[in-house]
Amino acid sequence: MINAVLVFNNNGQPRLTKFYTQLDTAVQQRLLSEIFTLVSARPNSACNFLPLPPLLAPSTSSSSSTAEQNDAPSLVTYRHYATLYFILISTSTESPLALLDLIQVFVESLDRLFENVCELDLIFNFETLHAVLGEMIVGGVVVETGLEKVVEGVKAQGRVAKRPVNEGRVGLTQGIWAGR
Amino acid sequence: MFEKDIYQLIRGLRSHKGNEREYIQDSLRECRREIKSQDMDHKATALMKLVYLEMFGHDMSWASFNVLEVMSSPKYIQKRVGYLAAVQSFRPDTEVLMLAENLLKKDLNSPDKVTIGLPLGAIPHVINASMANSLLTDLIPRLSHSLPAIRKKTIVTLYRLALVYPETLRPAWPKIKDRLLDENEDPSVTAAIVNVVCELGWRRPQDFLSLAPRLFELLTAGGNNWMAIKIIKLFSTLTPLEPRLVKKLLPPLTSIIKTTPAMSLLYECINGIIQGGIMEAAEGTTDGDEVARLCLSKLRAMLVVEGDPNLRYVALLAFAKITSSHAELVSQHQDVILECIDDADISIRTRALDLVVDMINANNLQTVVERLLKQLRTAGKAPEPTDPTTEDRGTHDGIVPRADEDDEEMQASIRPKEQKPNTAPPLPDDYRTSVIERILEMCSRATYAHMSDFEWYIGVLVDLVKQCPSSPATGNFGSHHTTASKDRPPNVADAVGAELLNVAVRVKAVRPDAAAAAQNLLSSDRRPDFFPSAGSGGQAVLASAAFIAGEYASLLPDAEAVLTSLLQSSASTQQLQASVLASYLQALPKLFAVLTTRDPHAPWTSTRRTTTMLLIARIVHFLEPLTLHPDLDVQERAVEYLDLMRLAAEAAASQQTDDDEESGGGGSSYAAEPPLLLTQAIPSLFSGMELNPVAHAALRKVPQPEGLDLAAPINGSLQMLLRQADDYDTDTDEANDEVYKFYYDKPSSSVAAGYQRPAAELLEPPTSASKSKAASASYQDAETEPLDREAAERKRAERRERYKDDPYYIDSERASGTSTPTPMHNILRSSSNGEELDVDAIPVMELQLDSKDIPAAPRAPSANDKKKKRPRRHFEIAGDETLEGGDDMPSVSSSASLSSKATAGARGTKKPSLLEVDSSGLSALSLSDDAAARSGATGRFDVERRQAEEEEMARAIREVERLRLEMQRAQERIQPRGALAEEGVVVTRKKVRKKKKVDTLSEEPAAAAADDDDGEEGGTAVKKKRRKKRKEGGEDSVASEKPAADERDSEVPVKPKRKKKRQVTFDDDDTVE
Repeated sequence: MINAVLVFNNNGQPRLTKFYTQLDTAVQQRLLSEIFTLVSARPNSACNFLPLPPLLAPSTSSSSSTAEQNDAPSLVTYRHYATLYFILISTSTESPLALLDLIQVFVESLDRLFENVCELDLIFNFETLHAVLGEMIVGGVVVETGLEKVVEGVKAQGRVAKRPVNEGRVGLTQGIWAGR
Repeated sequence: MFEKDIYQLIRGLRSHKGNEREYIQDSLRECRREIKSQDMDHKATALMKLVYLEMFGHDMSWASFNVLEVMSSPKYIQKRVGYLAAVQSFRPDTEVLMLAENLLKKDLNSPDKVTIGLPLGAIPHVINASMANSLLTDLIPRLSHSLPAIRKKTIVTLYRLALVYPETLRPAWPKIKDRLLDENEDPSVTAAIVNVVCELGWRRPQDFLSLAPRLFELLTAGGNNWMAIKIIKLFSTLTPLEPRLVKKLLPPLTSIIKTTPAMSLLYECINGIIQGGIMEAAEGTTDGDEVARLCLSKLRAMLVVEGDPNLRYVALLAFAKITSSHAELVSQHQDVILECIDDADISIRTRALDLVVDMINANNLQTVVERLLKQLRTAGKAPEPTDPTTEDRGTHDGIVPRADEDDEEMQASIRPKEQKPNTAPPLPDDYRTSVIERILEMCSRATYAHMSDFEWYIGVLVDLVKQCPSSPATGNFGSHHTTASKDRPPNVADAVGAELLNVAVRVKAVRPDAAAAAQNLLSSDRRPDFFPSAGSGGQAVLASAAFIAGEYASLLPDAEAVLTSLLQSSASTQQLQASVLASYLQALPKLFAVLTTRDPHAPWTSTRRTTTMLLIARIVHFLEPLTLHPDLDVQERAVEYLDLMRLAAEAAASQQTDDDEESGGGGSSYAAEPPLLLTQAIPSLFSGMELNPVAHAALRKVPQPEGLDLAAPINGSLQMLLRQADDYDTDTDEANDEVYKFYYDKPSSSVAAGYQRPAAELLEPPTSASKSKAASASYQDAETEPLDREAAERKRAERRERYKDDPYYIDSERASGTSTPTPMHNILRSSSNGEELDVDAIPVMELQLDSKDIPAAPRAPSANDKKKKRPRRHFEIAGDETLEGGDDMPSVSSSASLSSKATAGARGTKKPSLLEVDSSGLSALSLSDDAAARSGATGRFDVERRQAEEEEMARAIREVERLRLEMQRAQERIQPRGALAEEGVVVTRKKVRKKKKVDTLSEEPAAAAADDDDGEEGGTAVKKKRRKKRKEGGEDSVASEKPAADERDSEVPVKPKRKKKRQVTFDDDDTVE
């Protein structure tokens, strides 16, 4: 299952945090910054899988049976789009490559909803961001991977994406897909 | 009143560059005010702002009640803010959660479809076991809701319910299963169910076998790649249980591999084939061979594909899974895998490293290690060890929401960033450490099973010293091998040193090389070569090097130079670690002993005396300042050896030399002998037995001899003896001073020879034949037969004979008597007393580097051929010495089993990982085909058990009641007999009764019986004794028992009399308790 979804920008400022277990705010922040440290040091040519951050590293004394390991988060997948990092923390029951596709669907849905999405959209509409995620992942289990259905689901909730007034929108063309 | 909405907050945050903290504090204060407002709009807005700030780490748990208020708002817009806040801010200890339960139920049953979605999304985040059961009844009907979106969310929510309270799955599962089997179900709902089933599946695969046909159908129907991946993952857990599935799955999987355009699906097919054991299961069949070939070729293609590092990464993961079963298949692709070791991406490198460690065999070991070494050499060290505290923000106070630095960038849409360098970063220290650890691990695996050239290995080790990171870093960079390296010393240089030492000890043939390497490492003029930086990076290796130099001083190419280097280190003692220095100190006298006795027959000339004296003087000069060293170990050794050296100096000075004799006109035929202290005493301090590797667990296996009571004092009259000794000491110091005698009386040569005898012989008789055999012990294994049992037997018999009268020698045969020689007996015997000290009896197995049987002939080290490399030299490697039996722990892997033991111990107290959702509760829950029947059965069972419990309880209560009545009657019988006050007794009884009800049932009859007895005889005999006690306890018991007494109407009237008559009470045993 998926343990957490994080979105932050190139400076490590969070834009979305969703943990599928209840976690102290302070611990959340530590985890966030640990992952940011790891992810920001990676060149673009690097692969999209991170080593486990120290907070999640298995306590060395307990390399227990695989059964228990399946419950523990073991995979940190990320994708970098322009100014934003999208991170999924998941257990080994998820497929790494499929998770990359999932992030892609997430971003594509956002793009569809905001029409050429940029970080500002997400800052000002973080409620919508949560709504999109809620359509795709419930309680750590993926419920929808189809782009159309996600968009449909969000629209059905009446969360019309609102553009912030007075905020200039420059150069948002090229689409979100120029990144990887 | 109303200050700003969420947009204004965000904008304000962005415009307050530099003083965001202040701004946030202001905003938080505002929110605190606003959230108390009566206006729901204000409340919701304030909450929204709080949720936003929570993302930056500002706790909002104080607002949990307000969250609940907003959640219960009738307006959807506000409600969803409340639900979002609940999801983001509720923690397990949030108390208002109990109040939320009804609200959740209400919203689940809302007629508004959108509203239903809110609790469905929130329940997984806030659910706890007590809520789960009551929400279940509201959730199950949602499974048949008309909207697919609600159905699929309900399914997942039910899954999360089951995680906290597994029983909830029992009623829910049949319905979920119906949904899955329903072919007309919305495909996205089916996909969601498959996701859930996949999560459930690995816990209890046997319950899902019945679904296999439907899943197979879904897999072949295709369409949804995500679902297909999940199905394949599920199948890979099912195939081990149902071998027939393999045959069924092969064709579709093969066709997917061949046709799918989705790389993720392709990869998961291969992964499923590997993980599901399909490769092994189908081995031999043509299909199986084809699929294996196909998988490996695809994986290989993934490794070499340009421009997609992700594929390389996952391919390495897959390869790593194959290696355990098909190592030879993987090593066919060694070439491409080795490329990955040099990949620019550290994640890939680490994976490749993990893989390579498992992949090595005798043939590719050298290639791999050379490659890694080259990487270490060429990459150069990290310019400056990046200070983790400056870089890692995780160690301090989290992320401060800063004003965004440049909006242009943020508005820029998404293009790849060019500013980041695409070149390989310098190797971080932890990776470097990790590589070194892996090299050591690979080379030393299974007691050097793959090592064919130890001279090369020593070269590698020396090279590694140069590559040690300058700051001691623990390795395990992103590694899954953390446990393996846990036992290692913290500094990797220590590990290198330990390896060097290990090789020197175990492989006799390369000892000269090891000694030479140690000399190189120690030699002061080459120091900058090996330890370039001022940091203590590789210096820890010096401790081992010094030990080797000392222990094998006679093999050193130039012992004198080494001694000089050691002595010169005094110039830089401040830089040497205390442990290294201590090792130096230990090596010094050993070197000295070798240097002075190099030619035992050389005459004691004045030249020789002078050189010896000079040598001593230099050592003394070195030692003197160290006697004040802050480290106690160093200090102690320095003091000891300093005195030894002074004694040696005295001995050397006083010994007549040849020249003296001649000049003194002595007999010309007489050649003066060097002082015995130098030739015999000092060397004998250090030359005892050969040092051999001893297994970790060996000591534990030494059985305690029968009849040995470690707790008993050895000599009962020790105190007396000590006192006597004190007296004795004072008057006969001269006779007693053996040390004095030893040094100053000229000893007969036999004294020195016998000096080491007893201890040494107990362990190992220095008969040369047996010694060489023991030294050639290469491998030993609990299972292997002793090489030469007869010889050992004979030797043992000899030894028994020899030690027959020795009270310290405990004979195994004698001890174990004449019981029947069953296998168990043999085990016992072999692990019993005397033999355990018999090193010769340790089974000896020849090292087989090839399949051929090579006799393990000890190879005399000769200086000539050590430089020459031979293509295949056969080395004997001394295995760990240990004792047979006693413990079923295999000796070679003792450290492994130790660690596994440790993990076994740790498993009980395992701390779950941070984000882990524990699903272990599910493993006990059966959902299989006859789940309905069985659940009915177990349900009935539950009910029965409960009924039984209740009945038992009722029976117990009846029994108590009966006993109470009996006692009362008994007491009534007593009453007329003696004019005793029944009141006190009644009170007592009541107390007893109350207590009994809460007590365990089994005690009741006994206690009651006891009471009865007391009641009878207490009236006559015991009353006087207990009266006092009674008085103390009386006050309390009256007060506390009044209400209880009131319940019993019949007793109420007599109550007031109680106090007056208390002194004649006869039974109080329970009251005072």
